[in-house]
Amino acid sequence: MEPFILFELAGTLYGVRSRFVQQIEMIDDVASVPNAHPAVEGVVLVRGQVIPALNLRTRFGFEKIGRDLRSRLVVINNGTRVVGLVVDTAREFLKISTDSIAPPPEALTGLSGHYIEGIATIGERMILILNLDAVLDLDYEVEPEISQV
Amino acid sequence: MPDESKLNNILVVDDSPTMRRMVITSLGSLRHVKSTQAGSGLEAIERLAIEPVDLMVLDLNMPDMHGMEVINFVRKHQAYRNIPIVVLTTKSEESSRTEALAAGANRYLTKPFDPRQLADVVGSLLQTS
Amino acid sequence: MDKPNPDNRGEFFDQFLDDYYTECDEHLVSIRRSLVVLEDDVNTYALDRTLLDNLFRSFHTLKGISGMVGLAAAEQLAHHLESYLRELREGTVVLTQSGFEALVAGVSLLEGVIHARRNDQPIPSIDQLVERLQAISVDSVTSEAPAATTETRENDSTITRWQVEFTPTAELAERGVNVNSVRARLQEIGQVLQAKPVVKGAGEIAFEFIVAADVDQTAVASLETDGLTFQPAPVEREPRTREILPTPMIAPASVVRVDLDRLDELMRIVGDLVISRTRLDDQVAELKRVTPPAAWRSLQEVNLTMGRQLRDLRESVMRVRMVQIGEIFERMTFVVRDLARENGKKIIVQLSGGETEIDKFLVERMMDPLMHLVRNAVSHGLETVAEREAQGKRSEGVLLLSAMTAGERIVIKIADDGRGIDRGVVIERAKPKGLNPENAEIDDDALLNLICTPGLSTRDEADRESGRGVGMDVVKKATEDLGGRISLSTRIGEGTTFTIELPLTLAIAEALIVSVNGQRFAVPQSGVREVLEVESASTRVLENNEIISYRGKVLPLIRLTRIFEMNHQRGEKFHVLVVGEETNAVGLAVDRILGQREIVVRAIKDPLAQSRGIAGATELGDQRVVLILDISALRQLAVTSRH
Repeated sequence: MEPFILFELAGTLYGVRSRFVQQIEMIDDVASVPNAHPAVEGVVLVRGQVIPALNLRTRFGFEKIGRDLRSRLVVINNGTRVVGLVVDTAREFLKISTDSIAPPPEALTGLSGHYIEGIATIGERMILILNLDAVLDLDYEVEPEISQV
Repeated sequence: MPDESKLNNILVVDDSPTMRRMVITSLGSLRHVKSTQAGSGLEAIERLAIEPVDLMVLDLNMPDMHGMEVINFVRKHQAYRNIPIVVLTTKSEESSRTEALAAGANRYLTKPFDPRQLADVVGSLLQTS
Repeated sequence: MDKPNPDNRGEFFDQFLDDYYTECDEHLVSIRRSLVVLEDDVNTYALDRTLLDNLFRSFHTLKGISGMVGLAAAEQLAHHLESYLRELREGTVVLTQSGFEALVAGVSLLEGVIHARRNDQPIPSIDQLVERLQAISVDSVTSEAPAATTETRENDSTITRWQVEFTPTAELAERGVNVNSVRARLQEIGQVLQAKPVVKGAGEIAFEFIVAADVDQTAVASLETDGLTFQPAPVEREPRTREILPTPMIAPASVVRVDLDRLDELMRIVGDLVISRTRLDDQVAELKRVTPPAAWRSLQEVNLTMGRQLRDLRESVMRVRMVQIGEIFERMTFVVRDLARENGKKIIVQLSGGETEIDKFLVERMMDPLMHLVRNAVSHGLETVAEREAQGKRSEGVLLLSAMTAGERIVIKIADDGRGIDRGVVIERAKPKGLNPENAEIDDDALLNLICTPGLSTRDEADRESGRGVGMDVVKKATEDLGGRISLSTRIGEGTTFTIELPLTLAIAEALIVSVNGQRFAVPQSGVREVLEVESASTRVLENNEIISYRGKVLPLIRLTRIFEMNHQRGEKFHVLVVGEETNAVGLAVDRILGQREIVVRAIKDPLAQSRGIAGATELGDQRVVLILDISALRQLAVTSRH
């Protein structure tokens, strides 16, 4: 059983191993960085560090929405990089057993095998487990046309 | 840039640096003046010894050498006898107004002071001297 | 306007507020120190004359400058404190315990009034305290007038009295030798008993000092430099009533009071030097092609030596910004005394590592948060004498303030041996807020997180009254914003320790804050030669460059909106920051210049957020991130974007 943090993006539940989550913040002020990657909204100041705020909707090719009171910044720290992910809302903390995680089926359109490393089925809920390395890798892009939701 | 030697040198004497800055800023509207600061009576007299001073703005209540002693010393000295002195001191010293003027001060102003009034007084003293 | 209007006056004097606060701080520290010594003299007649003089003078000055900036409450309070001191000096009243306490309370309130004004908070009422001070004067009037004694000095046979004469000259003054420096030097070798001006034969002015020093005729010869002459002092006929004695605990003569502006100026100049040297570096490198090797090598050697020396200079200047954390500890000691007295607790403060140095910037940011921890320890952590004795603890509570450096960090501890933090109480308070729903056992780290949650932190009476608005959440944020860490260790019945780690080195720079298309940026001041205001209509285009005329020459402009591909709305006027030297000068066009600030430079480490032309980011105290521009990168970008 491994603990995960769950968040919501465009109506879908995603999960990240909680050991990679440094903190979850409300999104205060983002300074937009000129000429940066289009999915990078800008930078934020967290614990004295300046980190990028990566908008996952843009990253996954979804339509971008305005920020509201439920939007959150999930700060990921994988040991070498610290990056904030802008998500619709942060949900909960959940322990998931590795057995419930299945590799993503080939037929799944959208993010199959690219930004996710598996799908967990807990009861009636489906949680897409994020592949953080792919998400954070600048050179790794998925064609936006394929993943319209 | 105006020739420095033609500027009137105003010596501002007060042990409070904030007060000195306030005085100097108040005198900012005057033309052809520059200012020098001294934080005590001894420093003020030293200034007199090493550079030409055209007017003194003098606080009374200072450590080591009271402003009155400064006035007395300055007026006894041939070379400095005629330097205009404007005393700028706190209200409680009002009783010593007569004493200061008798000792040779030209004007006696109290704190808190009106910057405009100070500038006027200093300006007119510089013109007539 | 013919009559001096007190309201108008206030506006004029607002520009001196910073100076005012700085000077108040200095006087208050000196007052506090004097009070600590004075406490021993309560109910005696042997009051130290110099101490009273210093206190009187401090209150007098505070009254004066408070009146000037229009802070009437401080002016009046200082006035009454000054009056009480006058009576003590003249010996018409004796210093009673209640009189001393009224003094201490008066000083605390004075601090509170100034602090309130500084932080735009409601000014506390002074009426009660003024009444108290007036009542004290009446109560303690002496029937006999005791003699105000001066300190008696032991007759030491090896100490000789010297008459030292100093003749000031313009040339000496230029070298830094003046009546103050001479007096300081004399104070180093002995005690200056008198200092007065005298007129010499030909009408020149000189200063005569009487010094009691343990030096003999031979040693004196070596001291007779820079216009000083020594001769044995004439024997005193009667004791002088006015003696100039060095006040106990006054700052040693080896300390110089530095105007903060001068320090900033110094840092700016050093910054400029660094830039010039990098350009020199480039030029020297270019010369290699056209210079005989041997000659070039010696040139390069000098260049490198200069580089090293400059680095040393830079570090030295940065070190001037360092202050000893002992200064903060001292302030805390006063606060603890006051609070302990108010709450009927007995507290011993133990200090350790006070000489540890910390950057002034850190001090400013952490002063209030650290103070909050100390107040908490005294108000909530430490128990009353009765409670402690019931637990078998010693009646005095111990508060330990310690600091030390560990590598690149400074570690500050605030520890008490009091009650400890009750986890159960915190968890209970957290429940209705939905925190810690699992109700699990929480360790010290989790406990710290809970008490630092906004809305959960305790705000004690003192904070509410002074309206300081510092809670544990603010303490945590302030620490982390500086790149530091806070941790907690606590045990019920035994005590609590807060440990704060802060980075020692902060890259700090002076920057101009500018606005471009509504977004704020910071531009390192050291790269900016000049700032201009330009009419949009006066720009011209020359060979695909936008230019303006500047000092009789042509200055090419760099439009940030173009490089950063932002929208741009031209106003009638805009500002230009001139960077580079002479033929290399260019102008960075921005919409407006918002001001100048000292900023903490934070690097942008993650590649996702890195961008050419951006050197880092900072935050201006309002929690909003501002990007820092990289001037040389922008210039290169401008060149490439033109082609």
